[in-house]
Amino acid sequence: MTEAMDLPAPAAKRSRRRPVTRREVVLILSHAYIWLILIVFVLPFLALFAYSLTGPGGEYAIENFQYVMGSFSENLVWSFIVVGFTLVLDLVIALPAAHVIVRYSFPGKRLLFSALTLPLYVPGAVIGISLVLVYNFTYHLTTTVWGLVLAMVVGSFPLMLMPIVVAMRDLPIVFEEASECLGATRLTTFWRIVFPLIGPGVSAGLMLAFIIVFNEYLVTLFVHPPGITTAPLRVFNLVRTAGLLPTTAALAVTLQLISFGAVLLFFKVFGTRYLKGTYLL
Amino acid sequence: MSRVRLNHVSKHYGQTVAVDDLTLDVANGEFLTLLGPSGCGKTTSLRMIAGLIEPTAGQIFFDDQDVTYIPPRTRNIGFVFQTPALFPHLNVADNVAFGLSVKGQKKDVIKPRVEEMLALVDLAEYGKRMPGQLSGGQQQRVALARVLATDPRVLLFDEPLSALDRNLRDSLKYSILDLQRRTKKTAVYVTHDQSEAFAISDRIVVLDHGRVQQIGTQTDIYLNPQTPFVAEFIGATNGFAGTVTAVGGSDEDGRVTVGADGVTLHCRGRGDVAVGDDVLVYVRPENIVVLGDGDDAEYVNVLEGEIDRVIFEGPMAQVRVDVGGRELRADVSGGERLTLITRRGRIRLGFNDASLIPVPHAGAVAGS
Repeated sequence: MTEAMDLPAPAAKRSRRRPVTRREVVLILSHAYIWLILIVFVLPFLALFAYSLTGPGGEYAIENFQYVMGSFSENLVWSFIVVGFTLVLDLVIALPAAHVIVRYSFPGKRLLFSALTLPLYVPGAVIGISLVLVYNFTYHLTTTVWGLVLAMVVGSFPLMLMPIVVAMRDLPIVFEEASECLGATRLTTFWRIVFPLIGPGVSAGLMLAFIIVFNEYLVTLFVHPPGITTAPLRVFNLVRTAGLLPTTAALAVTLQLISFGAVLLFFKVFGTRYLKGTYLL
Repeated sequence: MSRVRLNHVSKHYGQTVAVDDLTLDVANGEFLTLLGPSGCGKTTSLRMIAGLIEPTAGQIFFDDQDVTYIPPRTRNIGFVFQTPALFPHLNVADNVAFGLSVKGQKKDVIKPRVEEMLALVDLAEYGKRMPGQLSGGQQQRVALARVLATDPRVLLFDEPLSALDRNLRDSLKYSILDLQRRTKKTAVYVTHDQSEAFAISDRIVVLDHGRVQQIGTQTDIYLNPQTPFVAEFIGATNGFAGTVTAVGGSDEDGRVTVGADGVTLHCRGRGDVAVGDDVLVYVRPENIVVLGDGDDAEYVNVLEGEIDRVIFEGPMAQVRVDVGGRELRADVSGGERLTLITRRGRIRLGFNDASLIPVPHAGAVAGS
């Protein structure tokens, strides 16, 4: 042990004298590159954050965020309501849909799958315009929050469906067969066996759909009913009419932090419990 | 405990016939094994008994109940899969309790039953463990406890040992048999491994290409294979194609004499062949004796050939002999006989008429 401790010392002395090797240059350059990328990606957010802390007329920065909690709280609440309903509807549709798509074969299955994932490839503005046309036939949808929720479901449903389909494909069918042979009905099998085992897929879908729906303003712009303005739409409206104020920046930062929090929560809760491999043998 | 009957059951997948007109009668408490190579329809048959697959034609009965089209959950079966298929998110005790809990049993009924079952498979202390923390053999034992907990009418095994290593396979196969005997349950067991089938079955059904080749006890199948497929599958690798030239002789039940490519073979008698029939004559490698000088008189059949290859495998040697262009394999054991084997040269092989098995066959070539 002592021998091993002694040995590196002279080696370190020698290294101080020798010139920088090519390997070290490469190492330094790659570190620099990684940091550059990090800065480029994070910089806009940092700039926005810094701006949100500046006060009009040199007042305390925290007032911007108090303003968010006050005047903008209504918009945040609407955002959460819309996102909440949307996620529930997404899940209610996606779970049985994924089960049918993975476990059964029927004519037109590929076509159905393509149709369901279509919104992923269609620009938000196109979805918005199409929905305005459709909603014109149904007065109720344009005046209540449900029109907005349904629009969000159309746009975010594929994001929920995809990870669940993948998780269910990866789940060996033998668990379901074992459950049925032990006397469980299909419904019991689904809730007690399949649902817990596709947990990672479900949570990934929830996270993706949450982030997309929570930050969506373009489709909202087209179909939001009078009197309902979600937080991202409010940011858009304010920037368009009043320019970029520190209070608007504070609202934008709040939205970012909530999205970031959702991702962190996902990795904290599901990332450790499921992704580390306890859920499949 | 139920009698299981399959009545002319078939399963077709498009043009492919997976199971062709299978009729079986498994007695109450019997251990029946479906044996055959992969793709012979044994697993399909088992899954039809379980209700995981619906037959294309035919009926399946448990006792007098027609279960052909009822789902697995109402059949009250215990199915042990190739993989243990323990629910990975439930601990061992909850896995064993699953069947009872979905049937709406009370907690105070379930708990002692689970403990009883875990004790039965020697895993009493493992209730709180997660399946991932158990070895493959332990997991398969939990799977056994899980199906036994529901007190099933029939136990179904789909190659439950094939995912385990060799030592574990040997010990677990006797545990399975022991549990089946103690619980007196009817069992249908699927395997491609003939030693496994021979070790634990009451009766064996040999399947090939979806058709029953032979149903019988180990002795029936080993000594009296009914078709060339059975003979070859059970390890009779030396075959001669020939025609019956004479029936009857010194033997009590009438020796069968077969002429095959210039060789005359005197075989054990069997009632269902007549002069002029095409037969395949099989002899097992372990029944061929290497002859020394003066031994010839003891054997009815003596063939001479050229040694092709000798492979020593511990206590025995595998000798490949070229007899008039036909390769025969003889397994020689015992020191005295081993000394008769040389690396090269001519050798004489002798076999009794009792060890030659004639199998009726319509004009095919042996060993094909």
